[in-house]
Amino acid sequence: MEFSVESWAPEYGSSLNVSSSEDAEDLADATVERELDNWAPIDPGPATRPDEIAFIDGIQRIDARIWIHENGISTPAVCVSMAAGATVCAPGTAITTGIRVARSLVAPAASTAGPIGTRHATYEFVPAQDETPEATYLAIHGRRTELEVGVARSVSCGLIVFDGPLRGYRDPQGVGYIKTHHKVYLPQAVRAVLGDLADGQRTPLFFLSGGQARGRWSWYLRLPGPRVHPMSGIVRLELPGTGTAAEAVQRAEYVSACLPQFASEPHKESRAPQNLYPISGIERELRRRLGDAHLLERALRIAAGHGT
Amino acid sequence: MAIQTVGRVLGTDDSTPLEFWVAVANGQHLQLDDIIALDRILPTGDKVAIYGIVGQVRARHEGARFDSDVFLIADGVLPADVSEAAQIQVTRVVPETFVPPLPGAEVRKAVDEERDEALDMTDVEHRLPAGLTRDGQPVVLDLEFIDGTKGAHVNISGISGVATKTSYATFLLYSLFNSGVLGAAATNTKGLIFNVKGEDLLFLDHRNTRLDEDERARYALLGLEAGPFRSMRVLAPPRKGDPNATPATGARTRGVRPLYWTVAQFCEQGLLPFLFADAEDERQQYTIVVQSVTAQLQRCARQSHTSDGAVRIDGRTARTFSQLVTIICDKLLPEDPDEDADPQWTGRSIYTGTINAFVRRLSSAERHVAHLIRADIDDAETHAIDLDSQQVTVVDLHMLHDRAKRFVVGVVLRQAFEAKEAAGTAEPLQFVVLDELNKYAPRDSSSPIKEILLDVAERGRSLGMILIGAQQTASEVERRVVSNSAVRVVGRLDAAEAGREQYGFLPAVQRQRATILKPGSMFVSQPRLPVPVLLEFPFPAWATRVAEADLGGERSDQPADPFDGLT
Repeated sequence: MEFSVESWAPEYGSSLNVSSSEDAEDLADATVERELDNWAPIDPGPATRPDEIAFIDGIQRIDARIWIHENGISTPAVCVSMAAGATVCAPGTAITTGIRVARSLVAPAASTAGPIGTRHATYEFVPAQDETPEATYLAIHGRRTELEVGVARSVSCGLIVFDGPLRGYRDPQGVGYIKTHHKVYLPQAVRAVLGDLADGQRTPLFFLSGGQARGRWSWYLRLPGPRVHPMSGIVRLELPGTGTAAEAVQRAEYVSACLPQFASEPHKESRAPQNLYPISGIERELRRRLGDAHLLERALRIAAGHGT
Repeated sequence: MAIQTVGRVLGTDDSTPLEFWVAVANGQHLQLDDIIALDRILPTGDKVAIYGIVGQVRARHEGARFDSDVFLIADGVLPADVSEAAQIQVTRVVPETFVPPLPGAEVRKAVDEERDEALDMTDVEHRLPAGLTRDGQPVVLDLEFIDGTKGAHVNISGISGVATKTSYATFLLYSLFNSGVLGAAATNTKGLIFNVKGEDLLFLDHRNTRLDEDERARYALLGLEAGPFRSMRVLAPPRKGDPNATPATGARTRGVRPLYWTVAQFCEQGLLPFLFADAEDERQQYTIVVQSVTAQLQRCARQSHTSDGAVRIDGRTARTFSQLVTIICDKLLPEDPDEDADPQWTGRSIYTGTINAFVRRLSSAERHVAHLIRADIDDAETHAIDLDSQQVTVVDLHMLHDRAKRFVVGVVLRQAFEAKEAAGTAEPLQFVVLDELNKYAPRDSSSPIKEILLDVAERGRSLGMILIGAQQTASEVERRVVSNSAVRVVGRLDAAEAGREQYGFLPAVQRQRATILKPGSMFVSQPRLPVPVLLEFPFPAWATRVAEADLGGERSDQPADPFDGLT
């Protein structure tokens, strides 16, 4: 396979934020725990610390944009490094574990792309539907989710918190943890409850269904921290949509009591309090594991035959 | 034995042929003073072995950015790893291809033969046991750097009271005499020790009753048998006012000879300048007077032909130092104010004020040295100071005033040095142990004693006179005396002192550690190794005070309590 490395790439070295898969078509049933008239902030139970809690996260970085040349036609593609891992917290220890690193050449399935071997790493071919940015992102996203699910399966914990939506992970230990809100799912009548949440309080449960993803139990929780605007510190959580509402409420109580103690502080974490300490720790470790971007880019140029 | 890898050379700090860092592997540890080894295969296929000593160790959290992250990490909230790393100071590179060790290279602890390689002890022919490393392994010095073959002299620094300076000096002496390193010459090799403080060194020939089996075993590790010095004599100044010149030594009574000079020896050997050895004296005018008087005294002594040690000066007899002082004063300051002083005695064109200064100092010295210079004892001439009758001669100075100490040290050293000069051969060696060098060879002035010490330091190597000198602060000692010492030893130092340039041979970490060294341990810097090694030496097998001495059948002439029996 003949290719060359684009010398000017705007995303070079960037972490490339893939928009979350919150589905616009999701429908929320906000009456599963309380009637809409009774919606009000719910006080947390006493803070609990699970024996073991795992946090799963993944990151990706574009190492280079390349052109694949075949028969005089050039097709754009990207070389991406991705990593996923878990932090398992037990009283007194927080251990980063199960780290998986993947390097992918994301190119349209129709191209003749194959894996690229360099001095430092091999970029496996990951086909994208076409050459549009959206398709490329989806392909990257899919590969990263695979990694994260793989990591989740490698840890045995009663509570596994995913940084992001559950994305089809159905095991009962899983909890989705969503920091960015592209959409507010609550009916207009009860949205004001979000602003009324005090530190550690949660909203009643609601059930999401109807979109591409399967049904999930969900609720909002406010993490302790400075309140700059009404949505400061608010995160949304997801549970797999299995079992009864009562079981889900019990689980939600438990999760809501566990998470606030992992909330970060602004002077240590720019995305405080939502970016939990274990997650910021693992992100740092994962970035390290991605390796040096300059080194990898040079390796790619050498592999392309026009670098030293 | 399987080679144990303790870590790998890390790549986040520079790795150099002289210094590099090692990341310590999980489940392993390295501590200060551990000795390590690693190999590097060059592109040519040649193997370079690199040896070193752990100079510093550090541990830190990887993944933490803020100091307070440690609480989160300890609570199990933030993930982080503990990384441990050790800084290695390279001791040897074999062969001498100075390449840095490569990051990732496996590092192993150096044991057995490899340890000896690391400390460059494998091809030392004349091995002088010098102490033990902290892991209880012996370290030897190359005798050739002490006996004058390639270098000579030992210099020891350290604050007092932590039992390192004189203890180590005597240990080295014991090792020299008893390890067999000197071969047949050991019997005739002599040690001259100046005892400056207390009665510390007066019982070297007595077993130490506090020596336990563990310490005995440490001697055995060094290949030494624990025991006292076998042959020793003490020279002590006479009691003041005692007409029989009985040596004043306190607890020790056997094997003690009085230490004094007859008036004739004093005059003939020109010892007068040694009375004027204070630091400030050199700047004074009256040194001209000193020279003239010394010359006159020598002349008179040669002409007097008395057999009892007295000197006749122009018809008057000087039998005691006081009489001598009186005669000299009369010569310099005639009773009749109109009469001029004899220019042969004063020197030419000398003001009365200068003469007065000389007389004042001479008179003030009289009180301190009168008991050391005398001809009022029978057979005075037979009491000539003999440094050769026993293997070790201890000259006891501890009861003397500073001026008298300087006088004795200067005169005895000169005698020993002149004897070596006259002998014309380096062997058998003469070792001299002298503490408080800063007093005798101060950095900023000159005196007759300093000249002698400089002579020893600079020419002693070829003459076979080896100085084992010690001082609290090397910064206050004449640079040439210290710099001529091939082996330098540093015990505990005052923090300000440790920062001075005189300790440039200590890397920064060792300087810092020198301020907290415990008694009995010190850094030894020797020419074969670029890095000073922390050594310990066993507890003295000889008594260092009367309470430790196994006096056996020996009884003191005096009861322990002089008032015993009085009512």
